[in-house]
Amino acid sequence: MTASHAPSPAYRGRRAMPGPGPGAPTVVPRRLTAAQRAVARRVAYVMASFALAFVGWYLISHYVAGPFLIPPPLAVLKAFGPMSESGQLYSDIGMSLSRVAVGYTAGVSVGLLVGLLMGRIKSLHDLLDPMVQITRFLSPTAMIPIVVIWFGIGETAKYALVFWGTVSLVLINTIAGVLRTPQIRQNAALCLGASEAQIFRLIVLPSAVPFIVIGMRLALASAFVSIIPAELLAADSGLGYLLQQSSLLLQTDRIFVALVTICLVGFLTDQVFHWTTTILLRRYLAVPS
Amino acid sequence: MSLATLTPAKPPLDRAVRPAREEVYTIGNLLKVFGEDKPYVALKNVDLTIESGEFVCLLGASGCGKSTLLNLLAGFDKPSGGQLLYRGKPIAGPGKERVMFFQDANAALLPWQTVQQNVEFGLKLQGLPAGERRARAEECLTLVNLAEHRHKVPSEISGGMRQRLQIARALAVQPDVFLMDEPFAALDAITRRRMHEALLEVWEREKRTIVFVTHDIMEALTLADRIAVMSVGPGSRIAHVVEVDRPRPRVPGDPELGRIYAQLERLLHGPAGEEAGR
Repeated sequence: MTASHAPSPAYRGRRAMPGPGPGAPTVVPRRLTAAQRAVARRVAYVMASFALAFVGWYLISHYVAGPFLIPPPLAVLKAFGPMSESGQLYSDIGMSLSRVAVGYTAGVSVGLLVGLLMGRIKSLHDLLDPMVQITRFLSPTAMIPIVVIWFGIGETAKYALVFWGTVSLVLINTIAGVLRTPQIRQNAALCLGASEAQIFRLIVLPSAVPFIVIGMRLALASAFVSIIPAELLAADSGLGYLLQQSSLLLQTDRIFVALVTICLVGFLTDQVFHWTTTILLRRYLAVPS
Repeated sequence: MSLATLTPAKPPLDRAVRPAREEVYTIGNLLKVFGEDKPYVALKNVDLTIESGEFVCLLGASGCGKSTLLNLLAGFDKPSGGQLLYRGKPIAGPGKERVMFFQDANAALLPWQTVQQNVEFGLKLQGLPAGERRARAEECLTLVNLAEHRHKVPSEISGGMRQRLQIARALAVQPDVFLMDEPFAALDAITRRRMHEALLEVWEREKRTIVFVTHDIMEALTLADRIAVMSVGPGSRIAHVVEVDRPRPRVPGDPELGRIYAQLERLLHGPAGEEAGR
């Protein structure tokens, strides 16, 4: 894929680079620019990594564990066909994603709001921080039994568990972002006549953006990690439920389909998040401070 | 208050044409103590009067309390005792009539805004309409030769330009006093010289009062009307005030400047410490 259109971008890339000046001789070697070579190298390594994983998977399946315990890649692909055709897989993906979306949105909203307040109001921080530090050791999985008693096995319970898995990550990173806002920047704004509210809105909030984005990205991964056990133990739909059912029926190939699906959906969601924030918040993220 | 005047008492020409001077800062017997359990006396018995339109340098070794004094003048910090008046009134807090400049321009500026938006920032805080903001920002950027870079962000311009941007941003809110905390110390020698020229040009045109903190004798000699030499802490004070009645631009070959340089050198590094030259 890189080799097919390599010559033309290489040519353009060369000429776009800041050259030695108009008078200098323009020799255009047919080579990739350093940036293109870096991208090509990265793509190559990613491909190699996946290739290695597949080969390793195949070898272990074939020579070590046997095709029942670890179905080989091709068997997994075969199992994927009917699951895809019936639409069952996609409805499970949809269910899991919708639970992640609701729980994540709630977790980010609360984490962000409370984090901003805690970062700015010292007494509030000192009052609430011990609670945060203690309770963050309770993973969403640990909360499943009590949450099921509180909310039953309906959607609310799933939202609550994803919320639990996301809120503290956003909270802690938001607080860090607010506290790391350079004092000099705030003082400079004070000198220019900024009020307390203006400093918060125009200085602290933008300065905290890189931290908030990191917190949100970690929380997104955590949301996926949180939803699966919740669906394993108390659900009748979703990828976790698919895993659970396949396990009961000893369908290891279907389990592997579900596992690979979780990897792919999580990875794609993360990439979408990463590139959306990178593009939308470029100004705030490229901050040398 | 003792003024160690080094030049014969003849009124310099540029001084005579300036409008009547008013006291901008009145500092008397000022005390600043940090910490409660293990108090550290940073400033003690500081006396100084700064008049409008004056360029005053606070000169001293590192850790002598220059920045502490500047923070008090800005209102970031409160004095522990003594008198500190700005135009006859105690300082309640920071305000846009006393704008501070920082050495770390990356931290002081808004990296997510363009050069122009950075200059407009202070005007936006005041709620000025966009048209007026743009016009004044343009004016200030032109004054510091940054107009052509107005659409860049701070990370795309050089360190010297960033400091000029800080000057433009301050000029835009039309402050009474510039408080500058070693603003050019991190720049290379050539850029620094250009910054001195740019600052003096702005100062001569705008007639603001400038209080400039430095540990560099040459820098103080290049810029200041008066140089307040601070003694080494703890409990530092203004040991001497040296007048520099020489025309600008000041050239290193000026023998009078050489004399003052030697004098300042003695005051700063002399064996008798703060009492030298008395």
